[in-house]
Amino acid sequence: MIAKVWRARLIARLLPYLLIAPTFVLVLMFTVLPAFNTVNDSFYKPARGLNAAGKSPQFVHLQNFVDILDDSHYMGQRFLRSFRNTLIFALATVFVAVPLGLLLALLLNRPQRLLGIWRFAVFYPALLPLIGAASIWSFIFSDSIGLANAVLRSFGHPGLNWLGDRNLVLLSVIIVNIWKQAGYFMIFFLAGLQNIARELYEAAALDGADRFQQFMGLTLPLLRRTLLFVSVISFTFAFQTVEQLQALGEGGPADSANLLLYLIFQNIAERRNWGYVNAMTLVLIAVVLVFTLGNFLLFERSESER
Amino acid sequence: MTGKSGAAQTVAAVLTGAIGIVFLLPLVFTILVSIRPENEPVTQGSIFFGSEITLSLYQHALNIAPWGLHYLNSIIFVGGTLLVQLFTVTCAAYAFARLRFWGRNLLLLVILLQLMIPSGVLLVQNFRMINLLGLFDTRLALMLPYWGSAFGMLLLRQAFREVPIELDEAARIDGANLLQVIRHVYVVNAIPAYVAFALVSLSSHWNEFLWPFIITRSEAIRPLTVGLNKLIKTTDQGAFYGQLMAGTIIVITPLVILFLLFQRQFVESFARSGIR
Repeated sequence: MIAKVWRARLIARLLPYLLIAPTFVLVLMFTVLPAFNTVNDSFYKPARGLNAAGKSPQFVHLQNFVDILDDSHYMGQRFLRSFRNTLIFALATVFVAVPLGLLLALLLNRPQRLLGIWRFAVFYPALLPLIGAASIWSFIFSDSIGLANAVLRSFGHPGLNWLGDRNLVLLSVIIVNIWKQAGYFMIFFLAGLQNIARELYEAAALDGADRFQQFMGLTLPLLRRTLLFVSVISFTFAFQTVEQLQALGEGGPADSANLLLYLIFQNIAERRNWGYVNAMTLVLIAVVLVFTLGNFLLFERSESER
Repeated sequence: MTGKSGAAQTVAAVLTGAIGIVFLLPLVFTILVSIRPENEPVTQGSIFFGSEITLSLYQHALNIAPWGLHYLNSIIFVGGTLLVQLFTVTCAAYAFARLRFWGRNLLLLVILLQLMIPSGVLLVQNFRMINLLGLFDTRLALMLPYWGSAFGMLLLRQAFREVPIELDEAARIDGANLLQVIRHVYVVNAIPAYVAFALVSLSSHWNEFLWPFIITRSEAIRPLTVGLNKLIKTTDQGAFYGQLMAGTIIVITPLVILFLLFQRQFVESFARSGIR
């Protein structure tokens, strides 16, 4: 009898840990440990290959970081160029796709004809696999038969080499990303708009505020938090969305449109430069972590304020 | 309505239509190109339809990659990922929502790290981990890192917390054991959260490319996105774009149909995925 009670108590004590164990162990294996290993391995230069038999990796202090930050080193050139591109790409997303998402939410937040079609039109890109979206656009941007150049030529312009001209490829990638993400950002603004009480607008209209004044004085301040939230996630997402490059020039020519995670991916796929890959990954983690942590604290605080 | 706001309405309607059409164009042209005869690009002849409507490009796309196999692989990948996730996430969410135990907040914080360091950026070390486990080029390797989901756990923890505790107590008085309580009290009351999580999980894994590409080598287990990649790599010349467009349609159709069926749920679940 007593043994039975004890056993029941023990099980009750252990139960919570058993319930969270699968999730916890998987997070340890595929988030925590890899993060630590990234830090550790970024100080080493592997002998050769991933698990070069018999040879141990060589401790090189901060040499990997020195190299990837060195403009005259081949990896440094690649990293610095890709990092710069990633920043431009991320900022373009924040400053174009996010306002566009807000505009779309304002336009589509009212009853109108064909509403279902327009909502589908702006949201479906968010559903597509990045690589599928990119393959569609690789056709639109293709040199001789693409839609983009067909439009340009109809205006008498000779057409552009969208995916081959080193000054244009990044722009092409940015255009695709804006098309892909604007509808996704829109839904956060739609949710935000629906939380604003109708009476506020009626009161403002009674006070003689026109639509623009209502937007500036009412909508925008009340959407401030949503705007901040969407801006931060769009910035961090930009550091993680790179699969489109597979069909949009593969980061070339000469890394002119390469993005950081894609550069890392290329090196893993080619089984090369493990030390550099870890150093670059650490930089990437640091950037993403700062922003997601900031957003998380902000979000949590606003949750507890309510 | 005054004349001024009537004009504003018109501007808004025109703007909506213009943006909507621009956004739709890529899809419309993809479809149009995919049903043209081979070697008949859009810039030649009628811009809408070719000399005939044909599925021959789909036939060609089918010859390049085994789409049936890739479909099956994608379904196994997203289905297997989701099924196990539903189990792990439910258990963890229940523990964090309703049980008190030593180290609770610390353990929760560790799990939340997954939201702050997305697995996508940990490619190289996860690749190494899979190799260490000897799982390279297996179906298990594709799914394993996703079987624990902090996002799903948070979503369900929130839903479970909103279940009245009296329901839980009443069920226990009726003699229900833990599993029965979870199933009949918590799960049934959190269906919207489960739908939201399922849609986000299904669509994000269906669309995934980098991880499946790196962690597999055999055609036999590779998902659709990797098959599409093969088509992209064989597409250099204009003549092949038709095939690529046909292949793209093959890959995206299931998701578009799923979206049309569950439009409202999709939008709602994506709205929650910001914390992913």
